Amino acid sequence: MFSTKRILVFIFSVLFVVSCGGGGDDSDGSGDGGGTNDELIQTVINDYVDQVVIPTYELLSERATALRVAVEVLRDDPTQENLEAARDAWFDARVPWEQSESWLFGPVDFKGHDPALDTWPVNRTDLDAVLESGNDLTEDFVANLDPSLKGFHTAEYLLFAFDIEELGDREFDYLVSVVSDIETTAAELYTDWVGGEEPFGDIMKGAGSNSVFPSEESAVEQIIEGMSIILDEVANGKIAEPYDNQDVEAVESQFSFNSRQDFTDDIRGVLNSYTGDQPDLGLVGTGLNELAAESDPELAQRLEDEINAAIAAILAIPQPFRDAILDPDAADEIEAAQEACRQAFDTLNEEVLPIIQ
Amino acid sequence: MFNKGEKRSEDNYVRYVLILTAFLAMSFVFTACDGGGSGEEAEPIRAGGDTSVDNRTSFAFEAPASNLSEESLDKHLEGDITFGDVFVTPPAPRNPGLGPLFNNVSCEACHIKNGRGLPEFGNTGLRSLSLVRISDPNGTPTVPGGNPPVEGLGNQIQDHATFGFEPEADVTLEWEEIIGNYPDGTSYNLRRPILSVTLANGEPLVSEYLTSVRLPPPVIGLGLLEAIPDETLIAIADPDDEDGDGISGRPNMVWNIVTLETEIGRFGRKASMPNLRQQAATAYFEDMGVSSPDIQGEDAEPDIDEETLDITTFYTQTLAVPLRLNTDDPDVADGENIFFDLGCNLCHLSVVETGDDYELPEMRNQVIQPFTDLLLHDMGEGLADNRPDFEATGREWRTAPLWGIGLTATVLGLQNYLHDGRARTLEEAILWHGGEAEDVKDGFMNLSKEERDKLLKFLSSL
Repeated sequence: MFSTKRILVFIFSVLFVVSCGGGGDDSDGSGDGGGTNDELIQTVINDYVDQVVIPTYELLSERATALRVAVEVLRDDPTQENLEAARDAWFDARVPWEQSESWLFGPVDFKGHDPALDTWPVNRTDLDAVLESGNDLTEDFVANLDPSLKGFHTAEYLLFAFDIEELGDREFDYLVSVVSDIETTAAELYTDWVGGEEPFGDIMKGAGSNSVFPSEESAVEQIIEGMSIILDEVANGKIAEPYDNQDVEAVESQFSFNSRQDFTDDIRGVLNSYTGDQPDLGLVGTGLNELAAESDPELAQRLEDEINAAIAAILAIPQPFRDAILDPDAADEIEAAQEACRQAFDTLNEEVLPIIQ
Repeated sequence: MFNKGEKRSEDNYVRYVLILTAFLAMSFVFTACDGGGSGEEAEPIRAGGDTSVDNRTSFAFEAPASNLSEESLDKHLEGDITFGDVFVTPPAPRNPGLGPLFNNVSCEACHIKNGRGLPEFGNTGLRSLSLVRISDPNGTPTVPGGNPPVEGLGNQIQDHATFGFEPEADVTLEWEEIIGNYPDGTSYNLRRPILSVTLANGEPLVSEYLTSVRLPPPVIGLGLLEAIPDETLIAIADPDDEDGDGISGRPNMVWNIVTLETEIGRFGRKASMPNLRQQAATAYFEDMGVSSPDIQGEDAEPDIDEETLDITTFYTQTLAVPLRLNTDDPDVADGENIFFDLGCNLCHLSVVETGDDYELPEMRNQVIQPFTDLLLHDMGEGLADNRPDFEATGREWRTAPLWGIGLTATVLGLQNYLHDGRARTLEEAILWHGGEAEDVKDGFMNLSKEERDKLLKFLSSL
């Protein structure tokens, strides 16, 4: 019998083969005769991995250890001074983490390190229940709790939402375990990029020879997409969501009043991704800016200026951010910061990405 | 599926579709070949039609459809937030409603970067990234044609709970390695899942109960799939295999919880969901314990309101499909021909057109390449979960869309395919095909190594 399905399949097959047989969707833009450019691209990828990503994760790991030491000191000697020192250690550890949000891909994603470190909001109802329970609050116990009960924001809540006299043994035990878990996760994140059977850093540097990064170009696009995601997130998520809804509860890092610093470090991560440098560690590499400058030096510099302008615009928002969103006098600065991030996003995607591709 | 009275109009419709399709095909052929031969490139079909994006990075599945109106884009971006919202134990100032029983805490937590999940349970960082459906073959369905729930457990095992509550069960997945050989002597490895469910009381799940492990699928292009007219699916279907090609695709017929009618199912591994809104409401409720206006459970007030359910649904309807990669690579072109020669396209239908009356104008009249027919097919004993789902038998699965499948490792960093994530490579996924696809699979196995690699290269280009 004359089958409907077979005819349809036949027609569609003919259509498909004929229309696509010659293929025109050229995504492989490497061209020919681009030996020097290929070397530069490989250098940019290598420096991104070795000079920016891995050192930033290493710094995170070190600062997580320093934070753990600080909260242990606080537990053993709960003074206001030690609380302040622990809070400072939390601020310090937060810097490389926020910078690393310019590359939220790889193990941070598929191994669950991002939720383990940075789940928001804190599950305060369950946290109260845990503190009131009879459980021994060891690192093992906390490690097995839900991510909304650990990570940076739970540590932040315990360190910043209470006065020193409100914190008791249970809170200190919990805090030490939470921070120990942060330390473990941060160390794993670093190790995932440098060690194990297949270090993710090697996979990225080996772009073109694996299925994660099928071409060198895909690794470069990945760097740009990582930058774009956080530029967009800062402008249209982290700032816009609480500001548009006038909702203080939507403000990230609200207990520590660290939101503005978080946003700044997010964009510093974008800058580092672009330049191939990690200024906090005095590392200088070859970045995308040099690749872009091959075709258009003015544009390459303009984007760098715009990223710096976005950092400056965020720093111009009156402190603290959670109050600024409700203050009509701060509206201009908030919107200018959003606009500056969007401008860098547009230049990156509409002008720089095409010339690099 | 149809009574005799409907048959005539169905035939008329089929004729109409055929004529329309032939016209379409010819116009495409002409368009495609116009100017061909002297360096001018043919216009390829874009994977997701006008929604397509040129993005092959790990963020490729997170791009909004590129043809959204400003208003739609604004709504999509709101949905981007609700899709990522982490729910917590009530009462809470933000996103209350989690649990007390759940599998995970946000949509995005399972659909990692809008791609697939992992065949992992109880990961402390990631919670569970797959889930187990269950049913009692001797029980009573709660909706017509539905799966009879297990008393006290329902139709899904929630293996996590908010603090102070006991998860329903502890789920572990182990793997049994299987070694096989191609006719040319090349060996391959497969792995078969072995599921263990230990209930809260320490007892194993009663063996009479039916279980099925489900890996979360990618969520790209779903609005386009929803926009394919029912009539097209019916026209493509061949439930009695009248053409004798051994392929007997048919739509699942499932319960719509809002219209309270039986409708064509198109989402989920067995096409047990009629639309994306029901899929979203069910996932909120079953996976996160979050009630909504459509599935309120015993809550006096739903945890999320109508607007949130609508926005999240909209988000899943408006994600882009990435354009293909390296379509000018001769190996990819050869692999594509092999795909057709083998007959993979009999189920993984390469080209479909969406309807003209879908609710979102951006998804209408799009010629797309989803590589699915959205129909149920017998996939053989090896893949069978032996757990029926509405009209789908224990051996039937809905054809999985293949668009974007070449980005799996890029998006996830890892690869796992099929309904329970057992296949670690696309090659393994092909080798698990059985039932109606047995002959096609045999065809694949009989290819030379070089030809097999070309086919895999083609799949990686999707």
